[in-house]
Amino acid sequence: MDFNDPMLALSSSIGQIGDFGLDLVWRFIHIVVTLCLIVSGIFELVESYAISLGLIQKYSSIDIEKLKCLAVVVDIEAARDVSKVIELLRWLTTIGVKQVGVFDSQGLLKKSKDMILEMVPRSVLLQETGENNISPDSIALEFISSFDNKEAVVKAANILLQKYLKSIHPENGEGENVFTESHLNEALRVVGECVHVPDLLLVYGPVRSHLGFPAWRLRYTEIVHMGSLKYMRYGSLLKAIHKFTGVRQNYGV
Amino acid sequence: MLSLLSCFLSLLSFLVHSCIRPWTQAKISLKDEKEIDEGTSYVAGEEETPKGLLREQMPRHVAVIMDGNRRWAERAGLLTSQGHEAGAERLIEFAELCFKLGIETVSAFAFSTENWGRHKIEVNCLMSLFQRYLKSKIHFFQSEEIRVSVIGNLEKIPESLLGTIKETEEATKRYKKKHLILAIDYSGRFDILHACKSIVKKSQQGLIREEDVDQTLFERELLTKCTEFPSPDLLIRTSGEQRISNFLLWQLAYTELFFSPVLWPDFDKDRVIEALVSYQSRERRFGCRI
Repeated sequence: MDFNDPMLALSSSIGQIGDFGLDLVWRFIHIVVTLCLIVSGIFELVESYAISLGLIQKYSSIDIEKLKCLAVVVDIEAARDVSKVIELLRWLTTIGVKQVGVFDSQGLLKKSKDMILEMVPRSVLLQETGENNISPDSIALEFISSFDNKEAVVKAANILLQKYLKSIHPENGEGENVFTESHLNEALRVVGECVHVPDLLLVYGPVRSHLGFPAWRLRYTEIVHMGSLKYMRYGSLLKAIHKFTGVRQNYGV
Repeated sequence: MLSLLSCFLSLLSFLVHSCIRPWTQAKISLKDEKEIDEGTSYVAGEEETPKGLLREQMPRHVAVIMDGNRRWAERAGLLTSQGHEAGAERLIEFAELCFKLGIETVSAFAFSTENWGRHKIEVNCLMSLFQRYLKSKIHFFQSEEIRVSVIGNLEKIPESLLGTIKETEEATKRYKKKHLILAIDYSGRFDILHACKSIVKKSQQGLIREEDVDQTLFERELLTKCTEFPSPDLLIRTSGEQRISNFLLWQLAYTELFFSPVLWPDFDKDRVIEALVSYQSRERRFGCRI
């Protein structure tokens, strides 16, 4: 009985020392990880500014021809600060992007489109100009909201329904030919929706989600999460576009 | 390089925290030989919720694009078919883990309509793999009470596979709590068009009127109508590609997108937890202001 007491005390001490030691290891790892993240963040910041200043050779020339259509998704909170959106669009104009679709779920940017078109130099509205009439030095803008997503597809489906019912012999299944991708594209155009498929989608916001961007158009679009619009950097934008130009898609094959 | 190092270190710290700390908190009494107190709750049949995750914030529906089997096989010096085999095994483990963590629905993009363009030998190998796996896992699905559904065009797939699909769906249709959805010969655009055709047929039969067609009705005609939660909360795509490649286009409107650089056969438990931790740390607003 008496022999057990010192043994218990010893094992308890060993346990406590072990606890303390492991606690120390855990905190040390925590510090190391935090430092690594800080260093990584500083590195990214420095890299971004270096890219902006043109110090990194590979970002100086980007094959922008590969990026025919770019889309930007903006979080609803960020969309309220139109000045940031205007700044982003000016950067995209500088880079040489020809066609940009700007999306926010509530359509706030749609309401401010006149101001945006006025503040972004050489910008035109895509719906008015048409894809083929964009002059080389201008940028065509499109303003999109959630209404252009599911609502538009439902309206287009109704158009196809009417078309099917009007076809000569719907009971023979001949009208089934109205249900192809090109027919839905056409129906979406009738509804007033653009069917241009963006090559690259940049998401500015806290969530890594496209927030309801028109689904029909997103089939093979590259999606890049850029973080908060408030802290956007020109270098990060250039880096994302440059990375896209290097992507090779197999399209499932 | 630095971000990779930080990821490795954060994973290491997570492992230390989750494995060693519970052990250090255990009190051993030599006097009366009590059992070790693990410090975590455990319910039979459920996975212990890993540290850093909240069970009540688990997504209800997780979708996965299983990319990287071919590259994995190439790097390992194996045949493409072996890469797909490893991918199939990984899917079963992934689904099992998700269900144990309380996730109710798992959708997997097994074969897209565009994949028919691959080499015929690879396509035949994939069809045979699907058939073999579904057939051999029927008892497993039944014992684990997992409902299996297959969505897609299904017109081009071999008759034998179609038979096995029907057999598996029939054998598991009564299970409610766990649902595994396999997308075979699936295309997001086809899904939307299919919904249009379905609406037309119902309209012809007098079941719906033109004015009834709205988003809710449309959603009920999509191929994902087999589940109560057609819209995934989280989509995981492996192998570093950052696109959704025509998968669940309509359904992914507010889905959290998690792109992992890891190839699918290497996407193990730690990676799953990493994706779930990322999901739980996001502030999802569904387009509204909170």
